[in-house]
Amino acid sequence: MSWYEQFLVAGTVVPLIGFAFLVFFGHRLGKPLSGWFTVLVMGTSCVLATCVLFSWHGLSPADRAELTAAAVSNQFYWADMGSVPIKIGVKLDSLTVIMFFMVTFIATWIFVFSVGYMAGHSDEIDGQSKYHRFFTYLCMFAFSMLGLVISSNLLFLFIFWELVGLCSYLLIGFYFDKKFASNAAMKAFITNRVGDFGFLFGLMMVFFFLGTLDLDQAAANFRQQYASSTGLFAIGYSIDLFGWQVSGMTLATLMGVGLFCGAMGKSAQFPLHVWLPDAMAGPTPVSALIHAATMVAAGVYLVARIFRLLTPDAQMVVAVIGCITLTMTALIAIVQTDIKKVLAYSTLSQLGYMIFGLGVGAWTAALFHLMTHAFFKAMMFLGSGQVIEGCHHEQEITKMGGLHKKMPVTCWTFFIGVLAIAGTGIPWTGPGIGGFYSKDEILAAALMRTDHWPPEAEHHAKAAPSDEELESGLSYRLASDSPEHGATDTSAGHDSQPKSEQAHGPSELDHAAAHHVDQAALVARATDSEHPTSPLPKWLFWFPIAIAYVTPFYMMRLWWLTFMGKPRDQHVYDHAHESKLMYVPLVALAVGTFFCSYWVFRPLLADAASAATDATMVVAIDGHAHDADHAVGLMLHHDVHRDLVPIVGFAFLIGFGVAWAIYRNGLELATRISSMPGIAFMHRALRERLYIDQVYDFVLVMGCRGFSRLCSVFDAWVVDMVALLCAALVRRIAAFSGWVLDARGVDGVVNGVASLTKYAGNAVRQPQTGRVRNYVLFAAGSAAVVLLLILAGSGAWSAVVGWIGL
Amino acid sequence: MGANGETVTVLKPQLKLILAAVIACMAMTAAPRVAMASGGGGLDEGGFVSDVLGGSHPLFEAVGFYLFGGLAAFSAIAICFTKDVVRMAIWLFATLGAVAILYFLLTAYFLGVIQIIVYAGGTLVLLIFGVMLTTKSPSMQFAVSKIGLAAGGVVSLLLFAALMGLVLGTDWQRGEPTGSIPVATLGRDLLTTYLVPFEVISVLLLVVMIGAAYLARQERE
Amino acid sequence: MLEIGLNHYLVLAAIIFCAGVFSMVSKRNAIGVLIGVELVLNAVNINFVAFGKYSGGNTSIDAQVIALFVIVLAAAEAAVAVAICTNYYRNLNTIDIDRGDAVSG
Repeated sequence: MSWYEQFLVAGTVVPLIGFAFLVFFGHRLGKPLSGWFTVLVMGTSCVLATCVLFSWHGLSPADRAELTAAAVSNQFYWADMGSVPIKIGVKLDSLTVIMFFMVTFIATWIFVFSVGYMAGHSDEIDGQSKYHRFFTYLCMFAFSMLGLVISSNLLFLFIFWELVGLCSYLLIGFYFDKKFASNAAMKAFITNRVGDFGFLFGLMMVFFFLGTLDLDQAAANFRQQYASSTGLFAIGYSIDLFGWQVSGMTLATLMGVGLFCGAMGKSAQFPLHVWLPDAMAGPTPVSALIHAATMVAAGVYLVARIFRLLTPDAQMVVAVIGCITLTMTALIAIVQTDIKKVLAYSTLSQLGYMIFGLGVGAWTAALFHLMTHAFFKAMMFLGSGQVIEGCHHEQEITKMGGLHKKMPVTCWTFFIGVLAIAGTGIPWTGPGIGGFYSKDEILAAALMRTDHWPPEAEHHAKAAPSDEELESGLSYRLASDSPEHGATDTSAGHDSQPKSEQAHGPSELDHAAAHHVDQAALVARATDSEHPTSPLPKWLFWFPIAIAYVTPFYMMRLWWLTFMGKPRDQHVYDHAHESKLMYVPLVALAVGTFFCSYWVFRPLLADAASAATDATMVVAIDGHAHDADHAVGLMLHHDVHRDLVPIVGFAFLIGFGVAWAIYRNGLELATRISSMPGIAFMHRALRERLYIDQVYDFVLVMGCRGFSRLCSVFDAWVVDMVALLCAALVRRIAAFSGWVLDARGVDGVVNGVASLTKYAGNAVRQPQTGRVRNYVLFAAGSAAVVLLLILAGSGAWSAVVGWIGL
Repeated sequence: MGANGETVTVLKPQLKLILAAVIACMAMTAAPRVAMASGGGGLDEGGFVSDVLGGSHPLFEAVGFYLFGGLAAFSAIAICFTKDVVRMAIWLFATLGAVAILYFLLTAYFLGVIQIIVYAGGTLVLLIFGVMLTTKSPSMQFAVSKIGLAAGGVVSLLLFAALMGLVLGTDWQRGEPTGSIPVATLGRDLLTTYLVPFEVISVLLLVVMIGAAYLARQERE
Repeated sequence: MLEIGLNHYLVLAAIIFCAGVFSMVSKRNAIGVLIGVELVLNAVNINFVAFGKYSGGNTSIDAQVIALFVIVLAAAEAAVAVAICTNYYRNLNTIDIDRGDAVSG
C-alpha cells in the first residue's frame, strides 16, 4: 500500500474517529470546544489531503498510472456476493485525489465558519444543547463523503452514498423542532430514495450483466463484452421484460440511466430537483458544505465514475436532463428573494451545467466546473450565512441593501464568487476566473458536439486511420491535434499512454507557438461505425448559452440587492455586522477559488480523463492533448473559446449590466417590469417554481392521498366487513363452544369432578365425627358385615340352622 | 337433670341384695378352689368337690354353666341398659364374678382366682374411683339419642348374628377336655416358655404405672 | 343341651362380647365405655379358656397363660384409661365422651 492510499484512508478514518469521540464525549466538550475539536479533526484530514495532492501533482503520469494499478492490487478481499468477490479498495487516481482535497479543504473552512455561526444560534431543544450534535453529524458527513470519494467499488460507493444521504437528512432537519425543517428533511430523503431506487436498479444490472461491482473491473468487462460481442452485446441477445423483448444495447442504456438516476437524486437534477431549495432549511454551513459544494456534487462524481458504462443513448439522457435542469432552475433563480434560495437555484443550475457537460462528453470540463463551483459556491453560501447571521436571521434580500459598508469582507468575497459563477474573464486573452474556464469549456464541448460533429468527418482525411481499423468495429481514438499521431486503438488501454505522451511533445511546442485551431485537444472516442453518434440537437447548445447570460444577471441582482444600493430596512441595516471567525473562511475560499481556477486541478483532471473516459462507446471530448504542466485555463480560449467569444464571451458584462440597470435604484423598476402584462404571468410562474412542486403535490401527494383514501374505503368496507363477519362468526362459534362445550361440557366435567370430590369428601367426612363411640360402632358394624359376608359365602348358615334345629 | 344432661339416682335396695348374693356365691365356690389350686393337695382328684365343682360331672357342669353363664350374660346385658355408672359397675362386678366361676367350671382355677383378685378387687375399684373422680355426683347420667341406641343395637345384633354363625358354623377341632392345670406348671411355663412376653408385660406394667401417674397428676399452673 | 361343650361357652362369650360392644357404643360416660371394653375382654378370655379346655393337648396351658396376660393387660388398660378420664374431665369439665370430638373431620 503506497503512502498515498494510507494517507487517503487515514484522512477518511480520522473524521470517523472524531465522530465516535463526539458521540460519546461531545456533550462534555461543550459549546465551543466540540466545534474546535471538529475543526482539528478536519484540519488533520486536510493536511493529509494536501500532502497527497501536491505530491501526486509532482508525479509523472507514468508514475501515477503505476500507483493506480498498485492500488488495484492492494484491494482488500471482504466477502463473496454469490460467486462475485467483493473487495474494498482505494480508487487512487487524480480525480480521487483532487476530490479528496476539495472536500477536506472546503470542509475544514466551513467547520471553522460553523464554530462562528453556531455561536450565535440558539441550539437548545428541550433544555439540551444540540451544539455538539451538529458537529457530530458534520464529522459523520465528512467521513461518508471521503469514503464515497475513495471507494473503488460501486457497492461501497453506494453505502457511503446512503450515508451522506443520511447525514444530509439529519442536518437539514437539524432544527427538527421547526415544522418546515423536518418536512424539508423528509422531502430530501424521500426524493433521494426515488433516485436511489434507480441507482440500486443500475447496480443490480451491473452486478448481473458485468459480474462485478468494482468500478474498473466493470468498465473492463463492459468493454470486453462490447469488443467481443459477448454477454450483453452478444448478437441477438435480448431479455423478456414484462413481455417486451429488450435488446442488450437497450439494457446497457438502461443500466447507465439507472445509475444516473442516483446522480439525479443526489445532484438534484430535474425532475428530482425539488428537494434542494427546501434543504436550505438546514443551518447555512450545512447548505454550503453539503448542499452546494460536496454532497450534491457526488452525483456528478458518480456519473464521472460510471462514465465508461454509459452508452450514447444514456449519455444523451444525461445531457437532456442536465440541460432542462440548468435552464429551468436558472430562470427560477431570477425571481427568488430569499438569499439562500437564490443560491440554491443557482447551485441547481450549475449542477445542471456539470451533468450537461458529462452528457455532451466534456468529462474534464464538467469535473473542473465541479471543483471551481465547489469553492466559489461554498464561499457564497458562507457569505450568505454571514449576512443572515449579521442581519438577525433576515433572509429576504428585499429587506437588505447597502450592506457593503457594514460587512466589507463578506461583500467583496461574495463579489469574487459572483464573478466566478458568471464566468468573468477577458475575452480572447484571459485571464478569467472560475466559470470562465470551466463553464465555457463545457459550452465549448457542446458547441463541438453540435457544430463540428462528427469529428471524423473533418479529420478523416488528416488522420487517415487505416480502413482496417475502421472495419474492425472496435472503438478508436482520434487525436485530432496531431496528424502524425493518427488513430490509436484504445483497446490497448494504458499501454498507449506513454506513446501518446511522447507524441504530444512536438505538438506542445506547436501549440504554444501557433495557437493551432485543432489544439482543442479533442479526443473523440467510440464513434463506432455501427453506432455512429449524431450531432447534438441545436437546442442542447443554445439553452446553456442563454443561461450563461441569465446566470450573471441573477447573481448580480442578488449581490446588488444585498450589498449595494440604499438600505431598505433600517433595522436590518443597523444590526448588520460581521465576525472574524466567519469571514476568515470566506477569504480562504476566495483564495481557493483562484487557486483551483489556475493551478493543479485542471491538469490533474486532464490526466485522469484519459483513463476515466477510456470508454467503449461513449463520446468523450477532453483536453487530454493538453500537457498537464500547461497553464490551466488557457487550453480552450485559443480555439473553441475563440469561436465562443462572439456567442458568450461578453455574457457576464451583459448580465451584470442589465441587473445593474434594473436594480440600481432598488426594487421599483423590477416591480414595474414584473407587473407588465405577459411578463407578470411568467414572473408568477417562476415565483411558483414553475408549479413543479404543485404538480408533485397534486400528482404524487394528492394521488397518494387519494389512493390511500381509496384504500381506506376498501379497508373500511371490504376488509373490515370481512373481518367483522369473521369476527361475528367466530364469536358465534365461540359462544356455542363456550356455552355448550366449555361451560356445559368441559366445565361440567371439571365441576362434576370437583363436586363429586366434594360430596365424596363430605360423605367420607360425616363418619369422621371425632366421637369414639361412633368409631366403635363403625368398626363393629364393619366387622359384622365382613363376617356375615364371609359366612354367606361359605355356606355356614346351614350349619347354624342345623345346630339350632337340634 | 344437671347442666350436662346428668341425672342422679341412688342404688336400689334390690340391687344391693343381688350384689350380696353374688359375692356370697363367689366366696363359697372360690374358697376351696383357691385352696386347692394354691395348696395343690388340699382336695384330691376325683373327690366330691372336684366332681361337683370341678365340672367333671356333666349335670353339675350343666347346672353351673347355665346358672353362672346365665348370670354373666344377664348382668352383661343389664350393663347395656343401665344408665347409671355406679350401677353399671355393680353389674360388671356380677359379670366378672360369674365369669370367674365359669373359669372354675372350665378347670382354670388359677385364672378364676386371678379374675376375682385383679378384676373384682383391682380394676373394678379403679373404675369406681374413676367414676368418683370424674363426676360432680356419682349418679349422673347422659341421655343417649334414640338413633344412636338403635344403631348400636342393630350393629350389636348383627355382630352377634355373625359370631353365632361363625361359632356354630365352624367344625372346631375337638380333643379330650383337659383337667386342671397345676399352678406350678403355669408358673414354670411363664418363666420358661413365656418368659419374653412375661418380661414385656412386666415392663408394660411399669410403663403403665408411670404413664397413669403422669396422666392423672394435677397440673401445676 | 345338657352336655356342655365348646359351643356353649362360645355362644356365651359372643353374648357378652356383643353386650360389651353395645355398651361401648351406647354409653356417653367414658367410664361406661370402659366398662364395655372390660366386658369385651372378658368375653375374649372366656373364649381362650374354653378353647384351651376343649382343644386338648397342651393348648390349655397356652390358653390360660394368654388369658392371664389379657387380664394383666386389661388391668393396665384400665389404669391408663382411668387416668385419661380424669385428665379428660379436668380439661373439658365433663366426662361426656361425645364432647371430645375435636378431631372430627
